[in-house]
Amino acid sequence: MDTKYAIITIVLSIAVMGCTEGGDIYVVKLSPQDMIKQLELGQIDGFVAWEPFVSKGVSSGGKVLLHSEDIWQGHPCCVVAHVSDFNDKRALKAVIYAHIKATEFIKDPANREEVISYASEFTGLDKDIVTQAMERIEFITFPEENDFRKYFRFLKDSEILNKNLKEIGFEDEDDFFNSFLRKDIYEEVIKNMKEGKIPEYTGKVRIGYLTADLHQLALFVAVKEGYFNETGMNLELKQYRNGVAVMEAFRSGEIDVAYLGGAPATLKRINDDIKVEIIAGANNEGSAIVVQPEIKDVSDLKGKTIAIPGYGTVQDFLLRLVAEKNGLKVVTK
Amino acid sequence: MRLLKVYGLITLIVVWYLSSFIIFLPAPHSVALKFALLLFNAEPVLGKSLLEHSISSIIRVLSGCLIAFLIAIPLGIISGWSEKLDDFFSAIIEVFRPVPPLAWIPLAYIIFAGFYSPVQIAQVFIVFIGAFFPCLLSVREFAKSVDRGLIEMAKAFGADDEDILEKVIVPSSLPGILSGVRIGLGVGWMTIVAAEMLASSGTGLGYFIMVMYEVGGRTEEIITGIIAIGIIGYLMNEIVLRVEKKLLRWR
Repeated sequence: MDTKYAIITIVLSIAVMGCTEGGDIYVVKLSPQDMIKQLELGQIDGFVAWEPFVSKGVSSGGKVLLHSEDIWQGHPCCVVAHVSDFNDKRALKAVIYAHIKATEFIKDPANREEVISYASEFTGLDKDIVTQAMERIEFITFPEENDFRKYFRFLKDSEILNKNLKEIGFEDEDDFFNSFLRKDIYEEVIKNMKEGKIPEYTGKVRIGYLTADLHQLALFVAVKEGYFNETGMNLELKQYRNGVAVMEAFRSGEIDVAYLGGAPATLKRINDDIKVEIIAGANNEGSAIVVQPEIKDVSDLKGKTIAIPGYGTVQDFLLRLVAEKNGLKVVTK
Repeated sequence: MRLLKVYGLITLIVVWYLSSFIIFLPAPHSVALKFALLLFNAEPVLGKSLLEHSISSIIRVLSGCLIAFLIAIPLGIISGWSEKLDDFFSAIIEVFRPVPPLAWIPLAYIIFAGFYSPVQIAQVFIVFIGAFFPCLLSVREFAKSVDRGLIEMAKAFGADDEDILEKVIVPSSLPGILSGVRIGLGVGWMTIVAAEMLASSGTGLGYFIMVMYEVGGRTEEIITGIIAIGIIGYLMNEIVLRVEKKLLRWR
């Protein structure tokens, strides 16, 4: 008798755990690698991720419901930031110089073939997939402040931020953005470059970046094309799994500069008071909502499970924007 | 005795207060307030209360442990009873026993990837692994130490194998079963928290702590989660201990 009840309990408890009710969009947090796998297996109905995972998802049976530029045109994405303790202007100028040169290289149509090869090498993906992916990324050199402010307000309104700016020593939003998005060094480099000057720095700089994140291709190109060498810099590269890990590396003093998402940078800058400043932008847009083929439009997302890479990420925000526009609510599963 | 326990707790809180001035650690009262707030109220990022997270974790542990006990207890009794069967199983058990349950986590997520609700099933499986071996070993130990004279005597009075099993071996193994259940639950509880941290389960105390860490600035929430894990672990142990005392009074 006991055994019977036990079995019933087990079956019931597993059933209850897997249950979902219709009405809202359910979100789950998954790593982009898991998103693709679970979409293929039909465990999730869709995901919001960045390139190359969007193109990878499409090549394994998913379809793009909305590109991020259709949700929020020119939304900020990856940036280049330095930890405030590392404030050697010459070093930062050298980094920005290499970054701008690499971005120009990527955007030059004459280099298309080479850029695709680099992208394929950097991400370890087929050229077909990266070719698709590259079309959806807008490579930039400095992000729009207004879009960053929009993202900041989302974090604030959704209570993901739990410190106000005064607590971390800023008067108000303007004061914060003046320091957090610093354009002064960038502008100096642009001026130098117009005069044909190359910033020089012979010291060591430790740069962190995310593994196989196509948005950060400029770093890879800068290394391969020797733009860092031009400055004389002694470069040390370190790979990280995600933006949170990069921010932790900043906190523990493992790296001086990093390519990372603007989202974790903002989030951890405020919530954990990890002092970093953004000195350049890497890309805008380049994310998308990828869904199972039977989902025809946004209203079909009702009652479906969509994966995001983390709470408070740009992808989280994009999904919430879509939901809001269509009268749906995003709830955690 | 009781007074000493209270002193112990007070010492902990004093040390905690002192360290909160030196290292980055929220003070006990602010954690206590957060705990009281989140116990029933939803935490904004995940939209669930501490109680909801606790219940999900407990359900996973109980499911995994139940399956583990249903297999480990009979197996323990059988291998304690028959030396031949014990030899047969011992090689398998000796190889897998020293493997920490956490080492199974990645494999479990791969094996169950194609199942319905793979993360949940993988997590129940990991708890199962964690609870199975301690329970099996404890039951086997007691079943082995059954007084052989008692068995001989029963045989002399014409008892068959079934009688011996039911009337002699099982009752003598009862303490082993109960302590096996207690240890199994304890290990299962530790395992689930780790398993929830590694994959996204949507609820659960381990998941709660991990998301709070990722979003940042939520050290109080993280400690709150740790305290909840501690309290539940303590209660589970205490409940089985009481049952043990009651059932084994005849000894």
